[in-house]
Amino acid sequence: MTEPFTFIVGGKAGMGVRSAGSTAASIFNDMGRHVFQMDDYPSLIRGGHNFSVVSTTTGEISSHYLKAQLVVALDQRSYKVHRGHVADDGVMVHDTNVDGDGVPLPVMEEAEQYDRPDLISGVASIAVLCAAVGMTLTQLEEVIRRAYPSHVEDNLAYATALYEAADDEIGGRFTLSEGDRHGAALLTGNQAIALGAASAGLNNYFAYPMTPATSILHFLAGRDRDLGIAVMQPENEIAAANMAVGAAFAGSRVMVATSGGGFALMEEAFSMAGMAEAPVLFVLSMRPGPSTGVPTYTGQGDLGMALYQGQGEFPRLVASPGSIREAFSLAGELLGLVWRFQTPGVLLTEKHCSESAMNVVLEPEAVPWAEAELYQDGDFGRYRLTDSGVSTLLFPPSDQTVKWNSYECDENGITTEDADTVEAMHDKRLRKHRSMLEHLRDMHTVNVYGDTGPAIFTYGSTTLSVLEALRAGDIDARVVQPVYLRPFPVWELDGYRDVVVVEQSAAGSFEQLLREKTDIAVTESVRKYDGRPFEPMELARELGEVLV
Amino acid sequence: MRERGTYAENTWCPGCGNFGILRAVKKAAGLLDESAFDIDTLVISSGIGCHGKIFDYLDLSGVYSLHGRAIATVSGMKMANPGLHPLAFVGDGDAYGEGLAHLLFAAKRNMDVTVLVHDNGVYGLTTGQFTPTTEQGVRTRSSPHGNVEKPFNPLLLMLDAGATFVARGYPGKLDHLADLVARAVQHEGFSFIDVLQPCVTFHDTYEEYNERVEVLDATPDMEGAREIAMQPERLPIGVIYHGTATPYHERLLDQFNPVVDAPSREERLAAVEDILK
Repeated sequence: MTEPFTFIVGGKAGMGVRSAGSTAASIFNDMGRHVFQMDDYPSLIRGGHNFSVVSTTTGEISSHYLKAQLVVALDQRSYKVHRGHVADDGVMVHDTNVDGDGVPLPVMEEAEQYDRPDLISGVASIAVLCAAVGMTLTQLEEVIRRAYPSHVEDNLAYATALYEAADDEIGGRFTLSEGDRHGAALLTGNQAIALGAASAGLNNYFAYPMTPATSILHFLAGRDRDLGIAVMQPENEIAAANMAVGAAFAGSRVMVATSGGGFALMEEAFSMAGMAEAPVLFVLSMRPGPSTGVPTYTGQGDLGMALYQGQGEFPRLVASPGSIREAFSLAGELLGLVWRFQTPGVLLTEKHCSESAMNVVLEPEAVPWAEAELYQDGDFGRYRLTDSGVSTLLFPPSDQTVKWNSYECDENGITTEDADTVEAMHDKRLRKHRSMLEHLRDMHTVNVYGDTGPAIFTYGSTTLSVLEALRAGDIDARVVQPVYLRPFPVWELDGYRDVVVVEQSAAGSFEQLLREKTDIAVTESVRKYDGRPFEPMELARELGEVLV
Repeated sequence: MRERGTYAENTWCPGCGNFGILRAVKKAAGLLDESAFDIDTLVISSGIGCHGKIFDYLDLSGVYSLHGRAIATVSGMKMANPGLHPLAFVGDGDAYGEGLAHLLFAAKRNMDVTVLVHDNGVYGLTTGQFTPTTEQGVRTRSSPHGNVEKPFNPLLLMLDAGATFVARGYPGKLDHLADLVARAVQHEGFSFIDVLQPCVTFHDTYEEYNERVEVLDATPDMEGAREIAMQPERLPIGVIYHGTATPYHERLLDQFNPVVDAPSREERLAAVEDILK
C-alpha cells in the first residue's frame, strides 16, 4: 500500500480546528489524493479539546490514522494529547507558549494582532501544512481565499506570517505526489445522505437538532431553495415524525433524521407509519448510549433499537451504509423502497460516518427516483387487499376519499375490530413483507471485499475501519458487510462458517443478530465501545491476533 | 352534494355532544362545497379518544392519527401541500395534555390549519379521568378525592400563543357551530375552536351550558377577547379573536408548494450536480 500522510490539528473549541481539518482535506482533494477526515470534539462550544485528523494517500484510504507526519498543537493540552501521535518521520509544531520539544511557532503571538485571535489561530495550521508539504505562498493564498473568505485580508496576512516562520523550520519536509482522483467531491456522511435522498426526489425534511444527525438539517436548510425541498425544524422529534406521516399522506417524499434519544421519541409514529403504510425514511445516526450517553462520539449500540423500533408487528427496512459513497446511494435506494412498499425504513449510521469526510465520486443519475404504484381507476380503497400486500396510493385533493389510519381498519381505511378483518390486514402486511424479501433477493444487499482468507463480518462505518486495518496490516481476509439488516439477507451468507465479528458495541449486538439469523459460528469478536472509532494500526494488531 | 357520512357504525353514547359536532361539521362541509371553496382540499385528522371516532363517521380524506399528534399530522400535510385545508379534531386530553406542544407551536407559527377541540373536561374512552380542563374539585375515577389541579383556560392559552382565529362553539347551537367551522377552515393562518362538549356518561354539562352559553354578536379586539376568555359566569360563543398574519408556510416557503411544484428528476439531479461541484 501507499504510505499515508496524516495531519492532525488540535486546539480548543472555537479555534477553528474543524474548519482547518476540512481545509486540509480539500487541499489533498485538489491534489487528486484520497482523503479521510475524522473530527473529534467534545459536547461544548468553547474550550475543551478538539482535534481533526486528515489522512491521505494516492491509493485507497478509508480511515484516519493516529500516527501523524504533521501535528499542529495550538495549545498546551493539544500538545500533551498528541505528543504520542507523532510518527517516527513526523514533526510536532506547537505554539511558542506551549512547553514542549517540537518546533515552536508564534501562532498566538501573531494572532494577537487581529480582532479575534482564538478564531484565527486555526488558519496557522493550514499555513504550517502548506509550508511542510512544499506548497508556494501563492498556492497558500489561493487556499486561504477559498476557505476563509470572511476577513480574508487578515487571514492572508496572518497565514503569510506563519507560513514564512514554518518555511524556515520545516519547509518542504514532506513531498506529496499528485493522485489520480481529480474531480471527487469532499463530503461527510450526512451530506451524502442528504444528497442521496435529494437525488431520489425528497420533497420534505423535518428534523429537530440532535448530534450527530444535525448536520443533515444544516446542509438541507442551506440548500432548500436550490433543491426545491421544504426543510422544517419543528418543536420536537415527536412532531417531526408525525409531520412526516402527514406529509407522506399529502404525497410528499419525506425523510426525518435523529439520534437514539430522538428516535425513541419517534417510536410511536414509526409504528404508525407501519400501520398506516406511510412511506417515511428515518435516519438514525448512532452515538454511544444508553440515554444521553456520549453525545459527540461514535458507537453502534442502537442496532437493536433500529431493528425492533415500534410496537406491534409490521414490515420495515433497516440498512446501514459501509461508506460515505454508500450513504449516498443507500439513502436514495431506501427512499425508493419505502415508497415502493409503503412502509417505514431506517437508514442506520453512526457519528463516524455522519461526520467524517471522504472524497468520493458519486453518480446521482444512478439513484432511482422514488415512486409508488399509484391508483389508476375504479373504486379506490386505501388498504385494498392485494397479492403483493401493497395497495395503490392516491393523494388529496381528490373526490375519492383517502383514509389513512393508525387503528386497524378495513380496505377503505375505516376503523375495525372485526376479527376476520384484523387477521386479513395482518396477512396483507405479512404478504408485503414477503414481497419485500423477494425484491431484496434480486438486489445487492451484502458487500464482500476480497476473496481469500478468513472472513470478517462487520457493518456500517466499522467496515471502513476494517478495510483500512487490512491494508495497514497487510492482512489477507475477506470482509463481509451486510448492508441490509432487516430483512436480513441470509441467502447471501451461505458458505461462511467460522468468522470474526468486528463492531462498535459493548454487548455485541451485530454478533447477536448474526447468531439469531444464521448458523455461522463466530469464533472471535473484536469490539470497541469507548466512543472512538477504531484506529487502523491498532485494529490491524487486534485482527492479527485473532486471525492466527 | 355529498352527505359526507360513512357506513361506520356510530358507537358514541346516545345524547353525546359529539353528535352535534359531527352534524355541524357535515353542515360546514356543505356550506363550503356550495361556496367557491374546493371541498376536495378539505382534509382531516383526529387524535385518539371518543372525539376521534368522528374520523370514521365523516366521508372526508385524512389521517386517523395518534393520541395528541393530530395537530402535528395536519401541520405535515400543510407543509407538503399548502393547497390543502387541514382540519384536526382533537380532544381536551389529547390537545391540552398529551399533545400540548403541538397545539402551542401551531398557534405560535400561525400554521394554516384548523384545530377543533372536543372539550368535555373528561377522558371518556378510558372511562372517566380528569383532564387538563377539568375544574378543580371534580371527582373522577382518577381523582376520587376531587381534582387538585387548576384547569387550563384554552382560549387564553391560544391568545397568548399567537393564534390568529380563536373561537368557542357549542353543539347545542348547531348552525352557529357549523358557521364557525366553515369560517375557521377558510381563515388564512391558525384557527382554533374550543367546543363545549357535554359527555352524558361522565361529565354531563348540558344543563349548565344551556344556561351559561350566549352567542356573541360581534368579534371583539384582543383586549375584549381576553375579557371574554376570563369571563367566569357566562360562556360566550363565537369568534372571540380574529387577526391577520402571514401563515407559516408562506413565510418559510413563499409560494412554493413542495408537492405540486416539486422539481422534475432532471431539474433535481442538475441541482445535486451543482452542489457536488
